[in-house]
Amino acid sequence: MAMKERLTKADEAKPWYGELPVESLYTAGIAGEKFFRSIQEKGVFLGSKCHKCNMVYVPPKIYCEQDFEKLEDYVEVADCGSLESFTCVHIGLDGKRLLEPMIVGLINLDGASTSIVHMLGETTVEELCMGMRVCAVFKPKNKREGAITDILYFKPTKQ
Amino acid sequence: MSDRVGIIGIGATQFRSITPDVSYKELMFEAAVKAYDDAGINPRKDVDTFVTCAEDYIEGTSIFDEYVPDQIGAALKPVHTIGGDGLHGIATAFLQLKTGRFDIAVVEAHCKPSNMLTPDGIEACGQDPIYNRPLKLNTHFIAGLEMNRFCYETGVTYDQCAKVVIKNRRNALNNPIAGRAAKLKLNDFKYAESVSCPLTELDIAQPADGAVVIVLANESKVRALKKEPIWVSGIGWCNGTATLESRDWVYLNYVTKAAEMAYKMAGIADPQKDISFAEIDDRYSYKELQHLMALKLCCSCNPGQCVDNGRTEINGEFPVNPSGGALGMGYMYEATGLARLYCAVEQLRGNAGKNQIKNAKTALVQGWRGLPTTSTAVTILNA
Ligand SMILES: [Zn+2]
Repeated sequence: MAMKERLTKADEAKPWYGELPVESLYTAGIAGEKFFRSIQEKGVFLGSKCHKCNMVYVPPKIYCEQDFEKLEDYVEVADCGSLESFTCVHIGLDGKRLLEPMIVGLINLDGASTSIVHMLGETTVEELCMGMRVCAVFKPKNKREGAITDILYFKPTKQ
Repeated sequence: MSDRVGIIGIGATQFRSITPDVSYKELMFEAAVKAYDDAGINPRKDVDTFVTCAEDYIEGTSIFDEYVPDQIGAALKPVHTIGGDGLHGIATAFLQLKTGRFDIAVVEAHCKPSNMLTPDGIEACGQDPIYNRPLKLNTHFIAGLEMNRFCYETGVTYDQCAKVVIKNRRNALNNPIAGRAAKLKLNDFKYAESVSCPLTELDIAQPADGAVVIVLANESKVRALKKEPIWVSGIGWCNGTATLESRDWVYLNYVTKAAEMAYKMAGIADPQKDISFAEIDDRYSYKELQHLMALKLCCSCNPGQCVDNGRTEINGEFPVNPSGGALGMGYMYEATGLARLYCAVEQLRGNAGKNQIKNAKTALVQGWRGLPTTSTAVTILNA
């Protein structure tokens, strides 16, 4: 043992409580700004296309992570796509069990090379399967604020 | 520059679910005393450079690097902290020794998650604040999505993932420093609570407090000290994309790249033949199988079969996590990779007791920084 002596009574071990009060602003940036404005104003998903490798990033970026190209070509992609994965989350941010599980999906929108992470609604996890068609349900336009939460969820469709 | 780098000392505390009697500094001190005693050195005289690995938010203190020197004997010496897994610290120390400016380097990593009152909240702060965090999801959701897709595409079954947990927690029964040893049966998984389906509470490595210190030296110093070292013959590291949206959810190309870098340096042509055993990241059950596949250590195209046919058991053809892994020893945030390395050195020294693998000559050690990262380091060790 590295210590010659150690505490031998549990009630002698005294903890101090503390917290880290932290608040921040986060900047959406050039591409993020376009993405969120398009959702807020038109209910349309925007991506950015790389002409070197043909990747379409949704959400858009101004650079290609594959080949470091500058991306300036913004393209509209569909608000429907296929379900690449899904999960039902039973634990909240506080580590406690949720009364209602939250269903989350990984959605590859038609025309995009990447997949959006968002909630799935109007469904149960038993109904879901890989490759299933899902479409975005947006907040009413007057309630949107230019955030990822302007999308309420994605719901399965027959389309 | 041709000088090899060897590990000449290792030290670790016990890994325990709570350690209310000691501070993190005392945990570090204990592991350091053991490592320096093992190496037969005095840190105040003999060590030239120190690297520690920690993350401010997990420590609950900002500018955490300022708090590390005293308890490892590093005051008034070159020391710095990196925000990464302990194996990234090994890579950093390795490079420093390779410069020829230093003879002995020390790497430290520790964790005291029992002091984190809101671990789920702290981990959620690692999610992208604009695209992901507003969904207010527990970070395990990423593992749920990944496990679901991984099993769907590779054909790995949930039972095979459960067998990884059963194997690792059983291996830990014979590891004296492990904090999460248990004898589980497949039936226990039927009653396990779902965390983020298909992920259950038993699929997740549970946190442990502890510290690990490793002493490395260049070849001339190893000879001068007349030590029997464990050589670091290969090292590689790599990052994938940070964004959830553009990453590959099945094939971990960043792990493959890091492994290829290490294999090339170590002159390993056929990893499955040239390596005796592996200590790899198993923060989640399926991760052991996903990492094995990315490291090119799978016997077949379905990594689940490795655990089915006993290949990865201690007495199997290719043992994986004979120490018990993070599932059996406890998950220690930035110290997890260093805990894997500690146990790999014990194996190569022939000190693994009941868990000893016969003729263990070459080990692969891999660390992953946990969710939501795609950050990994790989080390090849030789007896
Ligand atoms: Zn490109």
